Amino acid sequence: MENTDDILLRVDGLSQYFKMGAGRELKAVDNVSFDIKKGEVFGLVGESGCGKTTTGRSIIKLYDITSGNVYFKGQRICAGTRAYVDEIKRLRAEFRAKKQELKAACASEIAGGADERATKEKYVKLIADEEGASAAAIAELNAKKAAAIHDHKHCDRDYSQRLIERLTAEKNAAVELCATDEKRAEVEREYKEKIRIAKRDRIVNQIQMIFQDPIGSLDPRMTVRDIIAEGLVIKGVRDKKYIDERVFELLERVGLVREHADRYPHEFSGGQRQRIGIARSVIMQPELIIADEPVSALDVSIQAQVINLLNELRNNLGISVLFIAHDLSVVKYFSDRIGVMYFGRMVELATSDELFAHPLHPYTKSLLSAIPLPDPEYEKGRKRIVYNPIAEHDYSVDLPTMREIEPGHFIHCNDAEYERYKAELSK
Amino acid sequence: MENKEIKLSVKNLEISFRTDGGQVQAVRNIDFDLHTGETLAIVGESGSGKSVTSRAILGILANNAIKEGGEILYDGQDLMKISEEEFCKIRGDRISMIFQDPLSSLNPIMRIGKQMTEAMLINGKINQKNCRRDFNRTLSLLNKNMDMARGADNPEIRAQNKKLCADFDKFEYKHLELENEYNAAHEACVEAIDAIDDVLFHIEKHATTGLLPDVKEAIRLAERSVSRYVVHARAAELDTALDALEALIKVPFKLAVRNLVLPLVKRGAPVIDNTDYAAVATELGKVRAVLAEAADYDMPNFFAMGYCMTFLDEAFTALGAEAVSVAELNKYMRKRLDDEFMLEFIRVAEEGMKYSNARAVERKREAITVLDEHIRLFKERLEKKSSGAAVKALVAAVESAIDRLEIVKDNVAYTFRSSIKAAVRSYFDGIKRNAKEERRYARQKASFDKKVAAGKTPDWKVADKNLVELASIRDDVCGLIERVKARFEKNIAESETLDFDALAVGMIDYLKAKASGVAHKVTRGMAKSRALRLMEEVGIPEPRKRFRQYPFEFSGGMRQRIVIAIALSADPDVLICDEPTTALDVTIQSQILELINKVKQERQLSVIFITHDLGVVANMADRVAVMYAGKIVEIGTANDIFYSPAHPYTWALLSSMPDLDTKDVLEAIPGTPPNMIYPPKGDAFAERNKYAMQIDFEEQPPMFKISDTHFAATWLLHPNAPDIPPPKAVTDRIKRMREKANAARGAATDETAATQPESETNNADETVGAAQAQAADTAPDAAAVAPKKTARKTSSRAAVKKDGDGASASDKKTRAKASAASDKAQGGATARKSAAKPAAKSAGAKPATKSAGAKKPAAAKKPASAKPTDKKDGEA
Repeated sequence: MENTDDILLRVDGLSQYFKMGAGRELKAVDNVSFDIKKGEVFGLVGESGCGKTTTGRSIIKLYDITSGNVYFKGQRICAGTRAYVDEIKRLRAEFRAKKQELKAACASEIAGGADERATKEKYVKLIADEEGASAAAIAELNAKKAAAIHDHKHCDRDYSQRLIERLTAEKNAAVELCATDEKRAEVEREYKEKIRIAKRDRIVNQIQMIFQDPIGSLDPRMTVRDIIAEGLVIKGVRDKKYIDERVFELLERVGLVREHADRYPHEFSGGQRQRIGIARSVIMQPELIIADEPVSALDVSIQAQVINLLNELRNNLGISVLFIAHDLSVVKYFSDRIGVMYFGRMVELATSDELFAHPLHPYTKSLLSAIPLPDPEYEKGRKRIVYNPIAEHDYSVDLPTMREIEPGHFIHCNDAEYERYKAELSK
Repeated sequence: MENKEIKLSVKNLEISFRTDGGQVQAVRNIDFDLHTGETLAIVGESGSGKSVTSRAILGILANNAIKEGGEILYDGQDLMKISEEEFCKIRGDRISMIFQDPLSSLNPIMRIGKQMTEAMLINGKINQKNCRRDFNRTLSLLNKNMDMARGADNPEIRAQNKKLCADFDKFEYKHLELENEYNAAHEACVEAIDAIDDVLFHIEKHATTGLLPDVKEAIRLAERSVSRYVVHARAAELDTALDALEALIKVPFKLAVRNLVLPLVKRGAPVIDNTDYAAVATELGKVRAVLAEAADYDMPNFFAMGYCMTFLDEAFTALGAEAVSVAELNKYMRKRLDDEFMLEFIRVAEEGMKYSNARAVERKREAITVLDEHIRLFKERLEKKSSGAAVKALVAAVESAIDRLEIVKDNVAYTFRSSIKAAVRSYFDGIKRNAKEERRYARQKASFDKKVAAGKTPDWKVADKNLVELASIRDDVCGLIERVKARFEKNIAESETLDFDALAVGMIDYLKAKASGVAHKVTRGMAKSRALRLMEEVGIPEPRKRFRQYPFEFSGGMRQRIVIAIALSADPDVLICDEPTTALDVTIQSQILELINKVKQERQLSVIFITHDLGVVANMADRVAVMYAGKIVEIGTANDIFYSPAHPYTWALLSSMPDLDTKDVLEAIPGTPPNMIYPPKGDAFAERNKYAMQIDFEEQPPMFKISDTHFAATWLLHPNAPDIPPPKAVTDRIKRMREKANAARGAATDETAATQPESETNNADETVGAAQAQAADTAPDAAAVAPKKTARKTSSRAAVKKDGDGASASDKKTRAKASAASDKAQGGATARKSAAKPAAKSAGAKPATKSAGAKKPAAAKKPASAKPTDKKDGEA
């Protein structure tokens, strides 16, 4: 947090619940916080169903999040209201209880022989005070809630408005400098075109996603050119030549050739299809790519090709990546920092070397002990650690929170465990 | 390794697919053997023919597949040639498969429970029928041979034999009935103990929400375990404890209704549970004590008991009631059984088997002369006219020479008929085809020449002659005959040293197994309880709830577990896993791998494991075959492949996968696999191989022998090839692995490593010596790699010249042996453990009612020095 300029994406207390009917809810993601710095690869690991993919999809606004905030480049792009609603409910209930209490106290005082009128007046005043305090708090929360709803709904509008303002200012400055009318007209024309695109620009466009299944995520009836250019077209770019140029450039960048542009997805192998998916997301010039298991459906040799490609993109274009995967050796190889998720919660977060060198949370240990390595001797001796949350933790008294046990190493624990982990770490 | 029984062998398999673009040659001439209780991993990219091979074994190739040739020998049958009806008996029941994509291998509109029990019910029926047939057939065959051995003319002896067999038949059934009853109760008892432990654990942790159904389940199990032979003495005590428990956990009707309705009306309404869990815990403790004692009772000898109850009219109503210990009772019953029946039966059976074997040996001698005669005939020329009769004579000679009383079927002799017929037919078809091809060629050539002579230049060419190589087919035929001959000669030589005593016991074990198959009737309820247990075993929580759900309600990992459970439900011999864990995450992957390994050990399962994840291969495989473009390019033990890979493709695979210490750019394999419609002329990998030489583009490399277990098809192993070390990424990793292994092994290896480098003069030892020195010494890379290089070259040269593989392989061999021995020791330990507690959870995968030893008679045998009856009843 100390250096906010560096942080590209900040996820703060993200929760995503799904309704399951009969008033029940599935807490797919529960109070997850992390941030991604510029040019960094953040790995998210955990078993299937632990909410990795949901986290990624929530960030890119494929779901409306339940509570928490997501800030992208300092602007809030997702916000949930559940926390505020719950808080308001709690305050109201508290006030009601207090009111009852006061009323009872009043009655007992009167019964005890106090002056009826004076007492009543005193208590009415007390109750009014309480009500006032409660109402103020509630109003504040409501304002917050409204702001959250506004940000969640209109972040793109705000963004494009700001963009337009900036462009207008730039244009005005440019117009001032222009000597001739012709030049001025040209600037105006350019400005008009830019405004047209800016009007529909969305901040979320700067986050792009690569999907797991390279077959299912490409439309079989579109040519590769159309697939890759679709984002630009939707954005409002009409210049065919420019689009073609960009498409060819990207095809070459991801290791395909120009001739591939007019083919259909089924003519490609799995690795090539995944490259098309990558080209499609990179063409929007994103600052953050959410890669949802991009290599797990691919062959080993092709996996290496795709990982090398992603690595190259990250080094050359400075794109940050949220890398969601379950192959831990790949995550370790590719990521700078890794967050471990378990049942919707983030249980441990550290740099990748630190995490593999000093895993602290029992779930992380169990996860690391399950990685198969291409070494028969090692595999013979490998013992899988079984994680049993009931046996490992006693959270009946002291509830756990996310704590920083070492600079950059966070762990989900309570006080007793914190001490224990600390002792373990100092060993 | 060498002594292991071959379960399944694939020989010269060739499969191609007819497509619009032409014939895709998916599998091109591959060979491998699968031993009993071994895991063979097949590694390669998609499209390399791994899955096609496995599908051919299971007979589920797509309709456009063409079986070009080759054999898959399994249990006396050639799976390439048997009919679909016969395959139905093998598929699923004997050879089972776990598919890659769980969604498409489950029926979307059938509940999971039905899908799981369906195969069990159908297989159960077929199995019962087959077992009855086998049992009857074998017993009557035995009876016949006994007659022949002891004098077929004497009606008295014949009657005596008949009575022996009939008696055996009769009391064997009684035995199974009793044992089934016992097993059901005992299993319930063990399960109840587990369930109670679970409940007690939860009560101790104060996690009592929703615990009542578990308590009820435990009570139900405990009630089920009361039987004549399990909880008999303290049944009353158990009853009172259970009654008390039931009273404790009874929720008043009003409260139950409130708990049921209120949460629906009002969200978050608490469920009121005023059960006294402390009291429940104490009662459960009592129940557990009774059950634990009962579970530790010795198992009565039901085989003997069956005999006693059938023929001696002695009522053994309940054990312990007569105040006799189980051991004493067993001793008594066994003595009576031995004295009155068994010794006599074994003696007679032995005589019968001896007779049968002797006759078979005689016939084999005759057959060999017949074979010799025909081999000369076939070698000289193969004529259509005479060949029919010749083949007939050959087949008759070979088939009459088979000893039908052999339990382990001899693949070579049994498949002889179909193999030789197919080979001879293909020979004559080839003649016809060749003639046709010649005519076509002549015709086209003539017309081409005519056009050229007329001064035109045709825009087409005359296609080359595509002739069938008749000589090679004839060699195949002769090879077949010679193979049978060699096998027969071996059998004859072995027959002098056969231990008929052991064989007779084996025969009785076999009969018992078959009988248990007959008695083992799979009912709907049993299938369900077995399915539930399997679901639990593969790690599906709340199996009872899941049992009634549809496949779409499961996540990917859960679906895959269901598929695995279905594959295991049939209790197969050979399990083919086609990328079973590729779609799963690490924790579940490792659970499932452990599960497969566990089942493999318990049932002596042979596994073919197809994957492209080398980490998984390292975990699972005993041997590894690397496939590329339809061929096996390298095959060896796991250690061979991972520690001294020889083929450039294996190097590429190893270096393209990151491990936890990889920091550099990954070395991806450039390009894509070749188009198999037009397979390359030379080495298929040459185009993507940076070490490719000129010859790689021109000629396919043969399999070079590196050691007894390790073969690779690359020209780099040829004596004239330049020395090319594996890429740095691979050598680095091997070095790291060695270091890690050495660190783990500690001081012991340091000593050997210290002595190894001294033997540098003997270059043959260096393959291993250098590698170990590499790890132990802190020598620079180049120095460490260099001696290895020369070692490899010299050893491969030795192999190519075939002038002895002794020294180069010896070191490796001893190492392999040592590791095998330690494996065995481990296996033995676990086996003993599970033997000590037959119905403990480790044996849970077995059907409840089958007797523990029945399925694997080989494992149940005890040393020959024990008493004969000991040997027969060695289940526990």
